[in-house]
Amino acid sequence: MNKRVVILESISVPLYWVILAASVWVLLRGHNEPGGGFIGGLVAVSASILWAFARNSDAATCRLPLQSPLRLAAVGIALASASGIPAFWLGAPYLTHIWGVLPLGFTEVAVSTVMIFDLGVYLTVWGALAGYALALLSFGESDDGGHATEGGDA
Amino acid sequence: MSIAARAAFVMIPLLSLVFVLWTAASVPLPASIQAAWVPALGVNFNFHIDGLSLLMLLMITGVGTAVFVYAGGYLEGHPQQNRLYILLTLFMFAMIGCVTADNLIVLFLFWEMTSLLSFMLVGFNHEDASSRKSAQQALVVTGSGGLALLAGAILLGQVMGTYSIQEIISRVPGTEPSTALTTALLLILLGAFTKSAQFPFHFWLPNAMSAPTPVSAYLHSATMVKLGVYLVARLDPGFGDWPLWQWTLQIVGSITAAWGMLLALRERDLKRILAWSTVATLGTLVMLVGMDGQGATVAVGALLLAHALYKAPLFFVAGNVDHGTGTRIIDQLGNLRHAMPWTAAAALLAGFSMAGVPLSFGYVVKDVITEAKTVSDVLEFANVANTIFGAVAVAVAAVAAVRIFWRHPGHNDTPEAHEGGLTLVGPPLVLAFIGVVLGLFPFLADWLVGVASQAMSPRAEAVAVHFAVHAGPGFLSLLMTLLVGVAVFWFWDPLHRLFDRWASRFDAISMVTNYDRFIQGIPRLAALSTRALQHGSLPGYSLLIVAFMSAFMGVILVAGWHHWVWPDWVDPTAGFVVACLLTAAGGVLAVLQRDRFVLLLAAGLVGFGSAIFFTYTGAPDVAYTQLVVESVFVIVVASVLLNLKKRGMGMGHERIVTSRWALPVAVVFGGVLTLWMLVAVGGAFDPALTQFFAEKSVPDAHGRNVVNVILVDFRALDTLGEITVVMLSFMAALPLLQAVRVYMRRNKPGTNVPPGDQA
Repeated sequence: MNKRVVILESISVPLYWVILAASVWVLLRGHNEPGGGFIGGLVAVSASILWAFARNSDAATCRLPLQSPLRLAAVGIALASASGIPAFWLGAPYLTHIWGVLPLGFTEVAVSTVMIFDLGVYLTVWGALAGYALALLSFGESDDGGHATEGGDA
Repeated sequence: MSIAARAAFVMIPLLSLVFVLWTAASVPLPASIQAAWVPALGVNFNFHIDGLSLLMLLMITGVGTAVFVYAGGYLEGHPQQNRLYILLTLFMFAMIGCVTADNLIVLFLFWEMTSLLSFMLVGFNHEDASSRKSAQQALVVTGSGGLALLAGAILLGQVMGTYSIQEIISRVPGTEPSTALTTALLLILLGAFTKSAQFPFHFWLPNAMSAPTPVSAYLHSATMVKLGVYLVARLDPGFGDWPLWQWTLQIVGSITAAWGMLLALRERDLKRILAWSTVATLGTLVMLVGMDGQGATVAVGALLLAHALYKAPLFFVAGNVDHGTGTRIIDQLGNLRHAMPWTAAAALLAGFSMAGVPLSFGYVVKDVITEAKTVSDVLEFANVANTIFGAVAVAVAAVAAVRIFWRHPGHNDTPEAHEGGLTLVGPPLVLAFIGVVLGLFPFLADWLVGVASQAMSPRAEAVAVHFAVHAGPGFLSLLMTLLVGVAVFWFWDPLHRLFDRWASRFDAISMVTNYDRFIQGIPRLAALSTRALQHGSLPGYSLLIVAFMSAFMGVILVAGWHHWVWPDWVDPTAGFVVACLLTAAGGVLAVLQRDRFVLLLAAGLVGFGSAIFFTYTGAPDVAYTQLVVESVFVIVVASVLLNLKKRGMGMGHERIVTSRWALPVAVVFGGVLTLWMLVAVGGAFDPALTQFFAEKSVPDAHGRNVVNVILVDFRALDTLGEITVVMLSFMAALPLLQAVRVYMRRNKPGTNVPPGDQA
């Protein structure tokens, strides 16, 4: 993966967003159809891996939201933990989820703290597992941003 | 620290003391405060303040005020004086929580806090190795006892159905003694005995004397070590009628009282002498709790109060002597009354009370103890122990008050001796003076000791305590004790040599030696288990894990063999057959192949086979996850393997090394697992959970995907825990991964390939 593969590099840009969009779709449909934050996060990890193959793992790390897998995972945990707090206002135990309907005029969208919780799971899985994968992938790379052409035939 | 900062810290116990007094005067006892914390577990912030708590609270805040003032002078100019003050303040609040908590678990939490703070305070001079060792010893002993207490508290709570101490002690008398209850009782006693330094855990307290003197006076004389006594006194109304309770407390207390006092004879360090006499007093208190009858509870209350009023000043005196002369060894001290007149006065006043000289509060207390023993049936042994305790206590008091200030058989080695400032002599004088006032007008303590003893025997009618200065029934025996004590004092040095020679024969089996052996055994055991189990060989680890799982599951299978039900034959679907074939092919390939890359692909085959299997058995979510995880895993590991291969690394051994146990263990594991699955499928399926989630999922959680609803709603807390573990594992792995990355970059391919590995 140290050699530049131009086709992969070019196609990875739209593909990255397509995979991420797919992962968000998996995340959103999760409550009623197969899917959810965990699987969605894993799909997002594959997008990061694609980026790492097309360029290098450091580039994929920078492409992550917040530019750091650890920060991403931490934000995920924070979101998931915070989603349980509104329950206190209703006097319910921690993590009792609240559902509401957001009217948009032409249609209505059901919103809930469950969504926030699942988003937290999604971000944590994305951050932590992408962090693992990118760190492992980085072993074979050299320092110069992936443009070196050494190796491969040693 | 500036005077203002010190004064601010002193205000904390002082204001607490005022608050306690104000509460005692305005609120009818017992008072209680309730606040829910974890109602699901029955753990709540319930506080119950009765006479016993009040007595303890007064000691904690009263002696606390004296200690805070004293610490200001004693550690004047010490760079870490503020640390001492902060720790002492935290400790004070932990103590207050401990003696007011009505919930056993909350009590345990505060109890552990006191143990931890004691560890930090004993090790205050952390640059001194012996301080560190003493701190560790105190923590190991009281901390292990704390664990026993926790186990006992949970067990007691389970048996009685509540964690509230007040409810437990009102229910226990009507409960049949059972094994569980007895076990709980013994565990709690273990916790109390370690905290209060009862035999055989007596050794940690004198060693804890390496703490600064204010700490010794506060924690290891007036308050923390009394917690054990407090706990048994607290539970006494419930268990007081049990012979086991009475016998254990009386025997352990008596041994501690007698043996602790005798061990004081072995010491030459004033502070350690006082520490042993504290151990002995704690033993006497435990013994008194173990006696039944109204008089005993009065004696417990009175002795608690008297001990705080004479022992804390004596510790202050020892601290002043140390401060003024630079030594606490009694052989080098004498005739200090000229150099330290105020300290001498405080020592004399406190010493009178400790010795039980008539017209002191100690005398009143001894009178009450003698009276208590005449009305309840006491072991003969306890009487002997109490006589030894009384006599040597007189001698110890005389050593602390008379020997170093007046009479001295040798010469004084401390010409530089000087008196401390007001903050050093004030606290002992005030405390000792209160003791004298109570001795002259004992009726002043009537109410306090009365409510305390009322709390220890709530089923009896109101306790009317009337202390008075009079020649009680025990006057003659008290006089005898005094005379014997004076004799012991007179012959202190010869007795010391005699007893030391005799007792040194038992040093090899003493508790201190046993403790040292125990501590030295821990690294040895750890090394042994590391060699045997943590050898670093991955095949060895997997063999061990698989073998253990086979044995564990196999034993369960065999034990329940008569419940086995074989499943009915079901005609397989096409997808099912394909999944099985894929999985089996992957497995067989993995066994036959040695190339790691092919191994990885074979393992991936097993994973994809499972994913197909899940699709056909109604678990699309699991299948989905399995598929993505498997892809990510295979891609990442394959690229890592390829990279390693480029560098000529990670290709495994040239020769295959396999344990001869590998094949049999693998076969047994496969067999056990197959059998287990068959039996599990064959057994009756309980659809309760399936039905519950199917019914509740849409109405309660607005979701049709039950798996997701369980993850994010019904069991959201578990999921939160899981994702936290995911992140923590990544955080833990990150330094390792970065280190490997740095290593790999330093050894670039081509530069460091071992010869012979080159393709």
